[in-house]
Amino acid sequence: MSGTKAAQGCGRVAAVCLALASALGCKSDPAHPGSSTTGSGTSAPSAATSLTIWWAQWAPADGLQQLGDEFGRRENVSVSVHQIPWSSFQDQVFQEFGKQRTSFDIVVGDSQWLGRGATNGLYVELTDWLATAVDLKSLHPLALRYLAEYPTGSGKYYAAPAETDAMGWAYRKDWFDDATEKSAFQAKYGKPLAVPETWSDLKTLAEFFTRPDQKRYGVALVTGRGYDDVVMGFEQVLYAFGGSWGDFKSMKVKGSLDSPGAVEGLEFFSGLVAQSPPGGSKLGYGEALEPFVNDSTAMLMNYFAFFPDLAKKMGDKVGFFAMPKHGERRVASLGGQGFSISTKAPPAQQELAKKFIAWFHQKATQEEWVKKPGGFTANAEILRSEAFRSASAYNPAFAQSMDVVQDFWNVPAYNELLAAAAQRIGEALDGKKAPKQALTVLAEEHEKILSQSVPQ
Amino acid sequence: MPALVVLLAMNVFPLVFNIYLSFTNADLSGGAARAIGTHNYAVVFSDARYADPITTTALFVLLSVSIELVLGYVLALALRAHIPGKSALLTVLLIPMMLCPVVLSLFWNLILNGHYGILNQLLGAFGLPQPQWLTDDRLEFVSILLVDVWMWTPFMMLVSLAGLNAIPRYIYEAAEIDRASRWMVFRTITLPMSAPLIGLAVLLRATDALKQFDLVLAITGTNDETTQTLSARIYQVVFRNYKVGLGSAYGVVILVAVIAVATIFVRYIDGLNRRQGKAQA
Amino acid sequence: MNLVRALVIVPYFVLATLPLGWLALTSLKTYDDTISTHARFVPWTSPGSDRTSPRFEATTAAYRSLSKPVAGTPRDFYHYLGNSALVGLLSTLAAVSLGTLCAYGFSRFDLPGSKEWLFFILSTRFLPPLAVVVPVVVMYRWFALENTHLGLILLYTSFNLSLAVWLMKGFIEEIPRAFEEAALVDGYTRAQAFLRVIIPQASTGMAVTAVFCLISAWNEFGFAMTLNNYDAKTVPVYFAGLQGNIEGVPWPQIAGGMVLFVAPIVLFTVLVRNHLLKGVTFGTIKQ
Repeated sequence: MSGTKAAQGCGRVAAVCLALASALGCKSDPAHPGSSTTGSGTSAPSAATSLTIWWAQWAPADGLQQLGDEFGRRENVSVSVHQIPWSSFQDQVFQEFGKQRTSFDIVVGDSQWLGRGATNGLYVELTDWLATAVDLKSLHPLALRYLAEYPTGSGKYYAAPAETDAMGWAYRKDWFDDATEKSAFQAKYGKPLAVPETWSDLKTLAEFFTRPDQKRYGVALVTGRGYDDVVMGFEQVLYAFGGSWGDFKSMKVKGSLDSPGAVEGLEFFSGLVAQSPPGGSKLGYGEALEPFVNDSTAMLMNYFAFFPDLAKKMGDKVGFFAMPKHGERRVASLGGQGFSISTKAPPAQQELAKKFIAWFHQKATQEEWVKKPGGFTANAEILRSEAFRSASAYNPAFAQSMDVVQDFWNVPAYNELLAAAAQRIGEALDGKKAPKQALTVLAEEHEKILSQSVPQ
Repeated sequence: MPALVVLLAMNVFPLVFNIYLSFTNADLSGGAARAIGTHNYAVVFSDARYADPITTTALFVLLSVSIELVLGYVLALALRAHIPGKSALLTVLLIPMMLCPVVLSLFWNLILNGHYGILNQLLGAFGLPQPQWLTDDRLEFVSILLVDVWMWTPFMMLVSLAGLNAIPRYIYEAAEIDRASRWMVFRTITLPMSAPLIGLAVLLRATDALKQFDLVLAITGTNDETTQTLSARIYQVVFRNYKVGLGSAYGVVILVAVIAVATIFVRYIDGLNRRQGKAQA
Repeated sequence: MNLVRALVIVPYFVLATLPLGWLALTSLKTYDDTISTHARFVPWTSPGSDRTSPRFEATTAAYRSLSKPVAGTPRDFYHYLGNSALVGLLSTLAAVSLGTLCAYGFSRFDLPGSKEWLFFILSTRFLPPLAVVVPVVVMYRWFALENTHLGLILLYTSFNLSLAVWLMKGFIEEIPRAFEEAALVDGYTRAQAFLRVIIPQASTGMAVTAVFCLISAWNEFGFAMTLNNYDAKTVPVYFAGLQGNIEGVPWPQIAGGMVLFVAPIVLFTVLVRNHLLKGVTFGTIKQ
């Protein structure tokens, strides 16, 4: 009795092993490369009836869904926007790309993903098509450059701007307008209490409002280390003070990232952390909102995408301004994502995706888009218009910021660059390394990562 | 027997495939995987920061298990007596270890928050310093340890209780007759006789602690140097840097360690069973 | 002596229950109260008198809003709770049935190499999920199991199988062989003896095993996060995803959701309190 059962067991085990071994032998390629990048089918593709878009889990995606429904009504298709939490958005997207056919047709990817998407054959190249579908001149040149172009400056497009974003500041207007505060400030510093024009103005204001005994603080900065939080927070200071990430074309980092200007910028940024609430050296985008909302902080640095909700929540108590200058340089970190079409979607879907993107960029649609919660446009005409600027408290600052945006590396190895930068800059903020040392080490690491990941 | 088939499929195959993958430069987003020899292993062992996840994990296992052991044992000693409502009390005390680690640590973030967290506010109310649990580099590890100890001390307590209860009454009675001092009794009877089961608990807890990932992700994120355990490192390498081959190499290294520990564990249980068998004979 | 005992037990009891109590309190607050720099811990019927008051207005708004999706999430909390329940229950069912069969085999038949097999089964418990996540992800891609309920159920079944086999083996061994032998003498076949004798006797054991399998699947996070995109997301992954929320982490809702998520576990813990030792030590320690 037991013998036969054991024999049966063994037999089954052996069979399974054989099957698995052959499966293993056959598929030595864990995944097959995608189909052709231009996406033109050999036969006439049958019309697609649905479009799937993947984006991060936040309010602008809701707005996109509403626009998508409208598009769907016009074209008699169904558009669905799947929202994935930010913390796992990029993991899921690139994991999905590993399949033979992605379940999305369009992914609204971060600007940094362009290099990866382009070089790995994941994003459809849009260079020839984009100019015919969208009036390129209507788009803000910097938005086009950072959200669509790879390599930067080459004129090749792999995405079309979807959500254009930049970093700005929110501040407690009621505190700034308060008479007692105003007179105290005037008495102490000899100039009126006002929205800062330069970074040193900002620092003075921060120092003025930092009163730990009353649980009040000057600034809440974006300093999280998980993804790109602290890197984006620091980026604008880096460039304003004269440093840079390096030469995007030649991949040379030393001399830019560890230049005296850069070091000065990092020193300034770490100094500013002293005026933030406890724990202010590691605030992610969402976490930075909390000290501002709970009435303890005077100024908040964050992406404009967060500001509509803030304005709704706090009404007249909050005002907004763009990044301050250092000397003559004003820089804001770019945010935002672009529509990229998956090469692993069927040709019919790709055609429909193109239609959608073209419709999205029409001026009328863009005007609708900016009315959606958190929707920000790259359309330069709208940005300049009076109607836009007076539509909300944060629009003028946004329009001003778009002219001075700057982005990070968008090469395929961007994630390693981000992780290294987050750690080194973090060390400087925590006081574990002197800014100069941190940047020197980082420049070294960046050059190593860049040289190891030679584009295919 | 079909159970074995399923088990095999789910466990052996990944093991084998892991080994295969570790010799390639596979990428998370697909694309052909080229065999690149032992390059991945070279990276794993030569990476200047390679030792970090290992020391972090080892330190975590050591500290969490010992603290939990001491606390749990002391608690068990205290709970041995007949206390009114003991059963209910025990059940309540055992709840933390049954909860979902990730969900609880997300909530602990609220408690430990340096700016408005209730812990710091309590400390402040008593005039004590308010350390930055979640952002101070020296304390992040402590925070993870704290949450882990909070969750798993009940486990040690439970096993210690079982071990203590397994000591036959008559030995204590004999010691009483001999008028041995309390400390003597503890040292020569209680401790050694409850040791075997405790050893089992330590091994079980240690193997669990080796896997530590949930707490790290929820409390400090996986990109943090001071708290990056081995599992967190794999996550960072595979899902953030997309280096599947390198991740597999790490995985293989861990698996070797795990098999070693499992062997120790099984030998230990065997030894226990044999001893128990002898005692009963 | 009792004083010493009290000194040990009481503080620990407080420490163990305080965070859970805070969780419950948080679920009754409004968002602003949860992040206030002046702790609010006294539930009242109206808001506190000023900024520094410890009183807060207790409200069940958080619980009521659980049926609405949080800003930016596609579905509401109950959808994910349903996912967790579905995946948990089905994998438990599968694990317990297969496991009981397997345990019966190991217990009653002297199979060659059974010790090695048992060791192998036990070793799966020691496996860090992250170590095998890579091949599992690739494997799932081939079979298109990623992002499906089935994929997660299969995975949880295989992990819970080890637990089930070991636990059930312990329970079945407690059933005297005499019962089956009597049945066999009466003319029943092996299979019938199994069904009519073992299963009823082991039903408590099966229930206990089922509870532990369910708890393990309910709480699992590593694989749930890496294998699933959005369709079969379970509650732990849902909560982890709320961390970077654009409107700030919605603490009251998270606390409310957590209370609901944790409640079944607490209930089950109470139900199997007599078998907790066996359950958490994988059946290797018996009381």
